[in-house]
Amino acid sequence: MSDQATRVLLIEDNPGDADLVRLRLVEGKSLVEVTCVDRLADGIASLGLHPPSLVLLDLNLPDSHGAETFRTVMAHSPDVPVVILSGQDDEALALKAVHQGVQDYLVKGDITSKQLERAMRYAVERQALLRSLEITRKQQLEFKNQFLSHVSHELRTPLTCIHQYVTILLDGLAGAMAPEQTDHLKTILKSVNQLHAMIRDLLEATRAESGKIRVEPRCISIGELVHQAVTMMRPIAGERQVGIEIGLDNRIPLVHADPDRILEVLINLTDNAIKFTSPEGAVMVKACMVAADEDAVYVSVTDTGRGISPDAKALIFERLYQDPELIDNNRTGLGLGLFICRELVKLHGGKIWVASEPGQGSTFTFTLPLYSLAKLLAPVIVHEGQIRDHIVLVKVELAPLSKTLHGNWREVWQQAIETLRRCVYLDKDLVLPPMGGSAAAQTFFVVASTDLEHSGIMMARIRGQLERNEELKACATLVISAVPLAFATPPAETSLDKQVQAVANRVTEIIMAGMEAAPASRANDHAISNSIRQVQSIQKESSKCQNQKS
Amino acid sequence: MPKSKILIVDDDPDLRRALRLRLRANNYDTVHAQDGYSAISVAQKEHPDLIVLDLGLPAGDGFVVLERLQRLDALAGVPVVVLTARDPQNNEERALKGGAAAFFQKPVDNAELLDVIRASLADSRPAAALPS
Repeated sequence: MSDQATRVLLIEDNPGDADLVRLRLVEGKSLVEVTCVDRLADGIASLGLHPPSLVLLDLNLPDSHGAETFRTVMAHSPDVPVVILSGQDDEALALKAVHQGVQDYLVKGDITSKQLERAMRYAVERQALLRSLEITRKQQLEFKNQFLSHVSHELRTPLTCIHQYVTILLDGLAGAMAPEQTDHLKTILKSVNQLHAMIRDLLEATRAESGKIRVEPRCISIGELVHQAVTMMRPIAGERQVGIEIGLDNRIPLVHADPDRILEVLINLTDNAIKFTSPEGAVMVKACMVAADEDAVYVSVTDTGRGISPDAKALIFERLYQDPELIDNNRTGLGLGLFICRELVKLHGGKIWVASEPGQGSTFTFTLPLYSLAKLLAPVIVHEGQIRDHIVLVKVELAPLSKTLHGNWREVWQQAIETLRRCVYLDKDLVLPPMGGSAAAQTFFVVASTDLEHSGIMMARIRGQLERNEELKACATLVISAVPLAFATPPAETSLDKQVQAVANRVTEIIMAGMEAAPASRANDHAISNSIRQVQSIQKESSKCQNQKS
Repeated sequence: MPKSKILIVDDDPDLRRALRLRLRANNYDTVHAQDGYSAISVAQKEHPDLIVLDLGLPAGDGFVVLERLQRLDALAGVPVVVLTARDPQNNEERALKGGAAAFFQKPVDNAELLDVIRASLADSRPAAALPS
């Protein structure tokens, strides 16, 4: 830096001050090249064109004042050091700026050339040091994540081998085992499975940290996921003699979430709850709406375990946190589970927290954003300030022919959605986002602004287009049906929003009735079974396209 | 009905042996390959009914093997079950798109693996019966 000129960008609107600073710069011993501008906008433009070695910045400019000025400069060029030229009266602000990353400040009027030269040199050096530290930190993080991901992968190979041979022995494929031998082998297998779970968590946490977790939100029923999680965890609860129950609100709206990820969260929380509850205790998994918050579903897992101390509560979602009292005798994880849960819930736009009193059990709660059908529907079903006269819900069911999924099943039904979207009028009809899990049968719904009679034309079009897809034809059956959405004329004063919401509710009811096998627990059971009958009676279009593998 | 023949492709000899034991105990014939190159040559020679394929292989990884298999008329219809230590997030979709019938991450639940093998064999049989 001693040979090359230091390029200084001086942003100062007072010509007298600017000249003075320029004079001090020239008086100094080192070679300096000064560009002077009197507005922030010009300064930013110059920063972009010829990045300087340093910015000398007056905070009060014609187009920007105070803290805003240095924040704008630093946001634009985070790597260029900034030294503030402050007046006698705003020294406090200059000091504050230093706390926020500005390298130094000089009080105008007191500046000597030596002082200025020194401040500039140190500012440039400090900034370079900071930058290299930041680069090193990023490299280390990346290295750590790559290392962890590599190690977990390498650990899996020998673990798989142990797993295979233990199960070969256990299954008697290498000769009969004595009961005691079987017992020992089962213990080995249990440890192998624990190790496997730890490796999985390690990878998942690493991914969360480097922002590599992918979440694919869809429109899903949280009740279904709760049932799935509890069914999976029931054997483990049984083993520990812990009761496990489900509590679902009568009507929970659909949520916008990735079913696989949320199942992971539910299983993690339930597994923890069971782990920390003694025999004869109970775990309750609930999903409900809360009066104070209409935009989210609250999902909670409550146990009657030993509870969490206030100290632990503050740390429990942090990576690698382990309850110190439990480490010695109950160590079964890496302390990553809740960290992963928090990251997954955050990625969904929800939050997670715990309420607990020592000795009184704990409740972990997370929120998931509601799937707002009304918002999607409004532009389609509202015409000239009112709800359209005729709206029909068209249902397209794709069921795979064989039990094993065709290798490309996911791709096949994703193509089907694309095809559906091409079959509708964008201003009048809406293909709803896919529902439920991605595994087997897929049901798609189209809200169409047409009457039942004309919906036949749309259904024929959909069928024709879908059947053109040979792959789909070869691996799935197709059933298309329609149900009209009839409404009583709303009272005159009902707002349009409320009317749209009513349509959305009706659509949701019908969809839920189709998605859940047992709608018995719902309050308006009657209405739903009616709509099911309606759907069935109107299935005039339902035929099957059979398997023709070529 | 003659026994179905399964080609096991894995570079770890211990794991190959374990899979062979497991599959033979379930009444399948097995043949073996330890790298991408021999996977193709053994498949061409032996005409297996199904292939269990690792992804991390020397001499052409599993994806290369999948691609080659798709291009060989005699083998394009043979179901491939991928069994790998690699991460599903980056590999599952790619394998299924590449023509695999199923994807499993190691360690696999044996019952699940056997179910999928059985079902994939049942699915592919009518196609295999057609003259090529």
